[in-house]
Amino acid sequence: MNSPPYRYLRGYSLDPGFSTRLDTAGINEVVYRVPFESLEPGPIGEYVEVMDVDPATGAWYEPVDLGDERIASQHGLTPSEGNPQFHQQFVYAVAMKTIGHFERALGRKIVWYPRVLPPGRAANRPKGARWHREYVQRLRIYPHAIREANAYYDPDKTALLFGYFAAADQSQGANYPGGLVFTCLSPDVVAHEATHAILDSIHHRYMEDTNPDVAAFHEGFADIVALLQRFTFSELVEHQLAASQGRIDGYTVLGELATQFGEALAGNRGALRSMIGKWNDQGIWEPLKPSPSDYIDNVEPHARGAVLVATIFDAFQRIYKFRTSDLLRIASHGTGVLPEGSISPDLVHRLAGEASEIAEHLLHVCIRALDYSPPNDITFGSYLRALITADLDIAPEDENGYRVALIEAFRARGIFPRGLNTLSIESLCWNRPDFTKQQQLALTYLAGELKPFITPLVETNDRQELYQRSMRAQAELNRLLRGKQTLFPGDDWEQFLNDLGLTSLPVSRLFGKDSSKVRFLRDHPADDGYAPPIECHTIRPAFRTGREDRQMEQVVVTLTQRVVADIGEPGQPKRMVFRGGCSMVFTLGNLNAVEYVILKNIKSYERFQRQAAYMNGDDPDGAAPSASLYARDDRDARLHFNLLHHYES
Amino acid sequence: MSANVSATICMYRLLELGDCFLVTFTAGASKSRMLIDCGSFRNTSVSAARLDQITKAIARQLAGAPLDVVVGTHQHNDHLSGFVHCEAAFRKIGIQQVWLSWLDDPADPRARTIGKAHHNLMLQLHAAHAALRASAKGSRQRPVAARSLEVLEDVLGFYGASATAPPEVPAKAVKILKAIGARKPSYLKPGQTLDLPGVPAGSVRVHVLGPPRSDTDLFRSEPKKGESYDPALTAANLLASRFLDAARQRRRPTAGEDDYPFNARYRRATDRSRSPALAALVKRYRARAADWRTIDDDWMQQAETLALYLDTFTNNSSLVLAIELVASGKVLFFAADAQTGNWSSWATVNWGQPGVTTDDLLARTVFYKVGHHASHNATLVAAFEKMGTPELVALIPVNKKDPNITKPNGWKMPARNLFKRLKEKTGNRVLQMDCVNPPECNPDAAPAKAAWKKAGITPRITDLSVEIDIA
Repeated sequence: MNSPPYRYLRGYSLDPGFSTRLDTAGINEVVYRVPFESLEPGPIGEYVEVMDVDPATGAWYEPVDLGDERIASQHGLTPSEGNPQFHQQFVYAVAMKTIGHFERALGRKIVWYPRVLPPGRAANRPKGARWHREYVQRLRIYPHAIREANAYYDPDKTALLFGYFAAADQSQGANYPGGLVFTCLSPDVVAHEATHAILDSIHHRYMEDTNPDVAAFHEGFADIVALLQRFTFSELVEHQLAASQGRIDGYTVLGELATQFGEALAGNRGALRSMIGKWNDQGIWEPLKPSPSDYIDNVEPHARGAVLVATIFDAFQRIYKFRTSDLLRIASHGTGVLPEGSISPDLVHRLAGEASEIAEHLLHVCIRALDYSPPNDITFGSYLRALITADLDIAPEDENGYRVALIEAFRARGIFPRGLNTLSIESLCWNRPDFTKQQQLALTYLAGELKPFITPLVETNDRQELYQRSMRAQAELNRLLRGKQTLFPGDDWEQFLNDLGLTSLPVSRLFGKDSSKVRFLRDHPADDGYAPPIECHTIRPAFRTGREDRQMEQVVVTLTQRVVADIGEPGQPKRMVFRGGCSMVFTLGNLNAVEYVILKNIKSYERFQRQAAYMNGDDPDGAAPSASLYARDDRDARLHFNLLHHYES
Repeated sequence: MSANVSATICMYRLLELGDCFLVTFTAGASKSRMLIDCGSFRNTSVSAARLDQITKAIARQLAGAPLDVVVGTHQHNDHLSGFVHCEAAFRKIGIQQVWLSWLDDPADPRARTIGKAHHNLMLQLHAAHAALRASAKGSRQRPVAARSLEVLEDVLGFYGASATAPPEVPAKAVKILKAIGARKPSYLKPGQTLDLPGVPAGSVRVHVLGPPRSDTDLFRSEPKKGESYDPALTAANLLASRFLDAARQRRRPTAGEDDYPFNARYRRATDRSRSPALAALVKRYRARAADWRTIDDDWMQQAETLALYLDTFTNNSSLVLAIELVASGKVLFFAADAQTGNWSSWATVNWGQPGVTTDDLLARTVFYKVGHHASHNATLVAAFEKMGTPELVALIPVNKKDPNITKPNGWKMPARNLFKRLKEKTGNRVLQMDCVNPPECNPDAAPAKAAWKKAGITPRITDLSVEIDIA
């Protein structure tokens, strides 16, 4: 017998506190549909392994066996806060749901970021190898790892750690004092943390805190995924619409749900709450007006991340309004104004269906944009350009106004890409490179050499095979780029690399006449005249289907370079890694056709200075880098999720 | 017209982190002496001997006169330990009046509640530290456990605690201070303005800015967190008690833990109680090839969060004073160890005296005792930028030889960017307690020498103190 396509598992659609409130009890339990896979007790599947160990308590809990017919026949265990096995089932369901969205949007398998061992740490490492990489099949999920109001992704363990704690107050209405709150039972928190891990697998360099947008992007993006995923449950929207008694303009209903989301992630997430709307003294929800200074004014990662969430949510509302205006006209005999009182359940059903469909589309646009984002040093402005380009690629007609809605929402909050004066679709879309004939020839040559390595990538469904074959393809491209200086005369080769954000120049000439102002450090055993090696870190084929049923077959390749410089003061060295390069999007069938090149120019002295100022904490508007009283007031190179989070009760 | 008053500010030189300031006000023939804090981070014989030297120096300085006012800013060892170690010396010197913050007021019910919870949190963390230390013994390969122990040790050190001593020195000091004055102690609240005793009334006014009365502000360490700290102390205590239980039960079962977080029947602590499925899972967790993914000690990281709560709270409980020399309009600003929450509360202080505003006091500041040994988030940018006089000078009670600063990854004091801004705003008129000043701040050489001259001040530096006159 063939395996069924799906597994159905019961779970919460809102935090469990809502199950004990009469108005939401009915809809808080929903059935999660996740791709079927055979599971070991844990659950342990292809992508994740749930390990229910609680070292603080000194306890293990029996792993749930979702294959047990007594459980499988009931759509999983009954939602319960007091049963650890249900917790295991729930984190599995939400994590798999989130992974499923990414795989569908990206058109490829998710492979976790490998374990990277520094030189000297790896056993049996090949001679001469400096860094060793190990395939990591499964993300580990610890549902009861810590006794804190915190949950985080730990990239060093490829693991999600969830905490539990005693609620100290009733600020969330549903908790009772001293009552236990499990962060692993909040679908929003689980989706948020899983997204951190997935984003890290796609863009590992976004862990590097190089500008004020990077941490904000990690936080904001994880919230966007969790929020839009919430809206894909049409039951929730339906319930909210039915309860709102005619106040069904999208702003109220969707806004209330989004504001609840902000409250579920209380504490630091208060920022999100206050960015979307609030309930006034009469208990009526009011949207908050966006301001063109929202982006500039909010520098702290959560606040700035909240601006991004609010922006995407705003676009969601605009699209919803656009898409449902006809339904409202039909239901109101053409006036668009509905009579007072309860509205037809059929209309509610249709409206909710629209909302969840838009949520899913928009979620996929947001995810797909990652492939059109630069390989490092992300900014909100470049993410907007990635969104527009990604959507243009997959849905050239834009019949439902997604792009216009996105642009309007970004504009309303003052998020502009650097160096762009107008926000039109044409100017926002990344440029298609204009290669010379000679450069085109070089690309054709590279593509020809690479092709035998890409075909096997397309042909496997096994994630480990995929990982290993990708590594081989990357190694081949590294080899080609290292050897290819002979293809061209020197200047043409340099020009070609410059078009890809790269260089063949030694660091002593990297920034032209400004090079002498920088104290470059030796990165490898090399002399000061070394040229930074070009590294290929990803080659990813993707098969996507868009809103307009458009099929896309593409390969995404990133090429990067790094230099290391001392940006400290005399006697107080401070090491900074500065990266440049590009993400390239090829058409799969025609590998020498480069669709887009998304640049972070390694030769930009201006960007170097900006990053150095940020790392030194010199930017006057930057938020305090650390809560510790004894820390430095400059910045660490890496994001620390365990410090960024803390869900306070 | 009030009498012209000059002030001499003497920063005594502790050998580690510590604050001890004697300010002598002279109005014609009358003088008033105010001592703000007297403490040193550790309680070793070396620390105590130095405090002894300093109290002797204070006595010499006073030449038989008593201290008119002694201010105890907050309950940290490095601000108050001197009153414990040198109690006798202070009794001999004589103290007219002690000023403490409203949080030390036994008649204030809110202060009592907060004090109790605060004390409880401290005791719980001290106990957790002891339990963790006992259970982590002999395990050198555990960086998380080691780090957790270190941060707890660091923070508890502020209360004079050690492996053998309870965290009680600062509380003891406050007890002594409450009883030592000739007059009853005063407990100050923000918005109050007092006349300095010992000089003609109205010639020196002392304005109280902190500690704030709102719980929210008491817990803020960073500018961002605006909400939900209200029940923070309760929450911290709840978390701490569970943390303590966990730390204790490393060694023996702890009562109250049976059904936490799940009913005990779900718990599988021993091999025998486990199903084959669970045994397989445990094996997978314990596999050597996967040891990089285990989380055995990760829960201990909470120590850092809790320690931060405690430390932030105590620092924010600092009594902050702006001392106004009325005739010249000059203001001396003593920020103790106030953190962001304390600083940002000043904007909304409800001043009892007409004409007094926080911004005006900041704008007239000529002297700034840098907050919390110049750590990065104890000088709020917005407020500091308002200190606007061209003759502004700053003293930093920091000794960079303190082991907490010199250790690997040690405390960053003074914080780099703050120090830079201090130098800019004062034209390099910044002096550290250890007198290991950067060359540009050497008061005897260019460029600082000219800058001090411009302000009309010649700093006097001896082995025991750094002294400046504000005319």
